[in-house]
Amino acid sequence: MKLSDEARSILETSLQQNHSSEKDRKEIEQLLKDLPDDRVLIYKNVVSNPVGDLYRYSIHIRLHHMLTFVTFLTLAFTGLPIHFFHAVWAEPLNSFLGGVDVTRIIHRTIAVIMIFTMTYHILTITLGSIARISAKRFDLRRTIIPGLKDIRDFRDDIKYFSGKKDQRPEMDKFNYKQKIHYFAAAFGNLVMVVSGSSFLFPDIWASILPATMASHFQELMRLSHPHEALLALLVIAFWHWYNVHLAPGRFPMQWTFLTGKITREHQIEEHFLEYLRNLVEVPEERHLLRDMLESREIIAESDTDTASNS
Amino acid sequence: MKLPIRWTLPVILFMTVFTLTMSPYAMAFFDDDEACLLCHKYPRMTRVTEDGAIRSYYVMPEVFANTVHRNVPCRDCHSYIKQLPHRAVETGVQCDSECHSVKNPATGKPFSHKPIYNAYKDSVHGRDKIVEGPDSDKPYCITCHTNPIYDPNEVGPPKHIVDRCVICHEDRKFVTQWYKHTSRRIREVKRNPEQIVALCTSCHGDERLIDRHVKQAKEQGRELGKKFSIAAKSYAESFHGKLTNYGFDKTANCLDCHADSENYYKSVHDIRPSSDPLSSVHKDNRLETCKKCHVYADENYASLDPHPNASLEDGKLTYYAEKIYNVISIVVIIGLVGLSMFETFGRRRDGVSFRLRQGTSWRRKSKRGRDRVV
Repeated sequence: MKLSDEARSILETSLQQNHSSEKDRKEIEQLLKDLPDDRVLIYKNVVSNPVGDLYRYSIHIRLHHMLTFVTFLTLAFTGLPIHFFHAVWAEPLNSFLGGVDVTRIIHRTIAVIMIFTMTYHILTITLGSIARISAKRFDLRRTIIPGLKDIRDFRDDIKYFSGKKDQRPEMDKFNYKQKIHYFAAAFGNLVMVVSGSSFLFPDIWASILPATMASHFQELMRLSHPHEALLALLVIAFWHWYNVHLAPGRFPMQWTFLTGKITREHQIEEHFLEYLRNLVEVPEERHLLRDMLESREIIAESDTDTASNS
Repeated sequence: MKLPIRWTLPVILFMTVFTLTMSPYAMAFFDDDEACLLCHKYPRMTRVTEDGAIRSYYVMPEVFANTVHRNVPCRDCHSYIKQLPHRAVETGVQCDSECHSVKNPATGKPFSHKPIYNAYKDSVHGRDKIVEGPDSDKPYCITCHTNPIYDPNEVGPPKHIVDRCVICHEDRKFVTQWYKHTSRRIREVKRNPEQIVALCTSCHGDERLIDRHVKQAKEQGRELGKKFSIAAKSYAESFHGKLTNYGFDKTANCLDCHADSENYYKSVHDIRPSSDPLSSVHKDNRLETCKKCHVYADENYASLDPHPNASLEDGKLTYYAEKIYNVISIVVIIGLVGLSMFETFGRRRDGVSFRLRQGTSWRRKSKRGRDRVV
């Protein structure tokens, strides 16, 4: 396999950041040389553990997801019947949750937990990045920060889905879909916190804002809170849950949010650049990959490998 | 269930006897010294009006005997009746008339609803009993005061209290009535917030009524309140309205803002348009009204719109914002779901399956001819 310039750059950075030995470098280069150019053949012929093979998310990120998951749904279920009061399901759902006397308390309490989760997340990624920068292990391409590459990836992915390209793009740890989702959720959270606070503390907001804006602001917030909530719920129900539960290859569930690990075939297919880093960081992965592909005769059995096995 | 034919006669007989025996019993419920029930006891005492409507003049003695006016002789209110049989009624009962038979114990004068009636007459709702045209849409006293029947299960005064009172007041019936009269007025008699909103909405939410008034105001060059035509709808959409809708009573209902808290019971009859400086929602009084609940409210706060709406005439900003939100929501959902479907289609074509089984999801044949090696 001949690596693209982008992939080569990622690999070099990773080798450098991990202070890999010359032996490791040679081993990786040999493996890459033996790999077929068609990446599809690699991810189609590896063996994956459904609950995940390769480390992806720390326990903090998993906790953030779990907290967001619980708070988001609780907030949606306690909030939506109030806005859509005329809907058939609104009254029964509201009564089921204890009536508005109870749900308003739940909604506010859970909102505080959601804000805590946001703060916890921002702290985690900030401190994590600082720690990586100081350990000289930071790579901007490995973060969720979007770049022009994501637009190229999106274009190339569309070409692959429509059959005009035979390879999916080489995507990083976070691909364009995940970046859209992450920033949509971050923006949505911000809108919900600001608009929610304008319901809870309308007098404070009115006193802060200029007189000409106070009413317009309150109006916009009153509009934004339910619209944003509904949009978020629809995106979660029809897009996120589809992608992590129903999409082929992910059905019946992608376990990453619990185990923090991603399956090998998924990593190679959708996060090939991150998989290159895995090859650097996890020496066993090189052997495992070689064994899997050799057993299926995707790559020829190398002499060194046979010798080491014997 | 079909009644056997042989039961028909006994049933008719029983009903006749029952009706005949119960009628004098019913009449004994209250004192009919003026013998009005002589005619008005008949259920079929009706008249067909010029418009073809049937008007009933039937008085149900056992029901009337349980209303607040049971001790007031008929002619105290129907004062225009001077002879029997009386002439056609043209003016109807005015609620500001004096009840000569009931004395106001505080002043010794005949009792009258005049003070509250005058407050009502000065309000935006004020009208005469019989009016023609759009004013007839305004509520008269009986629109809201439906003269409810007393709860027959209401517990009377405890014996030891009556025993004490009758030492001076002698009449046990009088004491019981006086106790009930007083204790009922000490209790809160307000409608609950949901009932208040329902009552106001029964007119302010009636679109045909609103249209009539908007049209008439236009013809007369009269300016209506900015929120007149959307008052009920926009309140329902507001935070106050949504919470009241769920029976939450610690939020503002119509009267909390539109009536003055100085004397709630008087001011609910004296509701004025927002252009009137005496109105609690007049721009000079609005802050004080908000402050009844929102204690930290300031001038800016009073400019917030308690009747929000996203109509083009009243809320341009929210109107377009809502449109933009709707477009974004539809585009986002269709776009994302479409992308997922397209992705699934592309990957399925390349051989992906829905289950990760035997270590792989790529078990199907690819149309591109590069399958998993079995």
